[in-house]
Amino acid sequence: MLIHYKCPNCGDDMAFDSESGALSCSSCGRQDNIEQFSDDYIKNVFTEEDAKEYHCENCGAVVITDNDTTATSCSFCGAGVVLGDRLTGKLAPGKVIPFTISKDQARAAFKKWCKNGRLTPKGFMTADRIKNITGMYVPFWIYDLNSKVKYEGAGKKVRTYTRGDYIYTETKHYDVYRDIDLYHVRVPVDASEKMNDEIMDKLEPYHYNDLKTFKTPYLAGYLAEKYNYDDNELFPRVKSKISSFVDSYVRSTITGYSSVTKKHEQINTNNLNSTYVLFPVWMVYYDYDRQEHTFAMNGQTGKIVGKPPISPKKVATWFGGIAASSFIIIKLLAFIVSGVIW
Amino acid sequence: MKSLKSIIIALIFLLFIPFFSNEAHAETVEKQRVFDDANLLSDDEVEKLEKLAAKYSKKRETDFIIITQENIEIDIEQYMNDFYDEEGLGYDKKHGNTAMIGLDMTERDVVLHGFAKAQTYLDPDRLTQIREKITPYLSEGNYYTAFESYILLVDKYMNYRPGVNPENPIYRTWVQFIIAIGLGAVIVGGMAYNVKPKMTTTPGTYRDTERSKVLQRRDRYIRTTVTKRRKPKQSSGGGGSGRSGGSIGRTSGGFSRSSSRGKF
Repeated sequence: MLIHYKCPNCGDDMAFDSESGALSCSSCGRQDNIEQFSDDYIKNVFTEEDAKEYHCENCGAVVITDNDTTATSCSFCGAGVVLGDRLTGKLAPGKVIPFTISKDQARAAFKKWCKNGRLTPKGFMTADRIKNITGMYVPFWIYDLNSKVKYEGAGKKVRTYTRGDYIYTETKHYDVYRDIDLYHVRVPVDASEKMNDEIMDKLEPYHYNDLKTFKTPYLAGYLAEKYNYDDNELFPRVKSKISSFVDSYVRSTITGYSSVTKKHEQINTNNLNSTYVLFPVWMVYYDYDRQEHTFAMNGQTGKIVGKPPISPKKVATWFGGIAASSFIIIKLLAFIVSGVIW
Repeated sequence: MKSLKSIIIALIFLLFIPFFSNEAHAETVEKQRVFDDANLLSDDEVEKLEKLAAKYSKKRETDFIIITQENIEIDIEQYMNDFYDEEGLGYDKKHGNTAMIGLDMTERDVVLHGFAKAQTYLDPDRLTQIREKITPYLSEGNYYTAFESYILLVDKYMNYRPGVNPENPIYRTWVQFIIAIGLGAVIVGGMAYNVKPKMTTTPGTYRDTERSKVLQRRDRYIRTTVTKRRKPKQSSGGGGSGRSGGSIGRTSGGFSRSSSRGKF
């Protein structure tokens, strides 16, 4: 079952517009408020046979997708299509953060960012490469978590003072106990197998005030994926993600000691609520020097994550330049102070 | 017209007078600078030291005087002061720029003096540094090497502006080179590190501060332990400007000089 948005006005393809946040027609400028769209597609459960092959409603060509795609463009006519059956039932996202950064803005931001790469090889990020930028809705689970922490530790307060010929070190020992009830809300974990976890983690944070109830038109014109892992499968990952947050909170409640050593700690984390959401990401993939490089941009905040290659030539140039000029400066200063060159 | 021409010629001639007189001064005045009364050096060595002293005396416009004595009635320092007063030593004028080294073989004393320009450039600290460097040669009985390195060290130290420690490693080119290399490595390393993306979430990003709380806390005092150790002894006169053996004083003739004295 393929969903395709045709303009009721002029019949052209409609797509999501990041500036207005509406479903808009590029030909006649008609804009439709997405929040008033019906949820029929999500509520319907599609039959098995619908899922086998997709035909573009616009031109009739076969839409080629891989198994995880939920929104794409028809490779033949370019119309943005949404694969409705992959967004229903258990696979229906609860919320979505729509793109606020348009393709042009993303391109400009990538270009600007590449210029800052002083050690990046010349011509690494050409305009040509940035053209292949893809807007993608990445599946995430966001968790509301409650952690009950019971912490036992040994605290020390150390004081030194001098009396006569001796230095005294006085150590006061304390028994430290904390019972903490800790809540974390809407902690995101990416649920797509294809996406690099590290890159996705670094794209955070997303601002949740733009979190919208999911409607299929938001996906029109973008790529979207469905989740590969459900909330139970990803629970260990979100637990490990917040473990450092829990630690830092526990530490923040123990103050006034010179040192504290942990004796025993019990952390019980419960999943209070998990929601399947789609977050917007601009992606640039390409090969350079037989290595694949991935650059991602938070489609909401504009934060860019990526590791560009480092050019040994540029490193050598910078290093040589800095070393030579600082040598000259040191020499000059030494000469000014001492009156001696060599 | 004629008178103007002669005046100009006379003026030009006057301009050259200093050159003539200077050259005449440098070539004709053959001074004795090595006074080896204790006979520590061979004739050959004395001649070589004289040449070396003459060369650097001219370069530094400071007389380099070497004195060795044995079985003298008075202290070597006193002897050197009197020698300066009586001989009127000095490269530029009587009682002028002079760097002196004196050995008393009986007492095994070594004394270094600096007068006038040499006093400015060879302050007590620098003299002590030179003395400490040449003392090992003196102790070995390697007098020629000691005097030779004395002359070379004085020459080297007079390159440095007064008040600067010539032995500070920062003035060694290889040290400066290593610092420059290190700076380059640190800065470029920082640039390479900055390319890597950073986490921008903090522990507080997802915390629900309203609901999160400490249900129970306990900080129970158990006991106190006390350890004591002896205060480390203050090492006396360690470092600082108080180098041993350096001072500023005057000869009985009233000439100020810097000095450094020690045994070998």
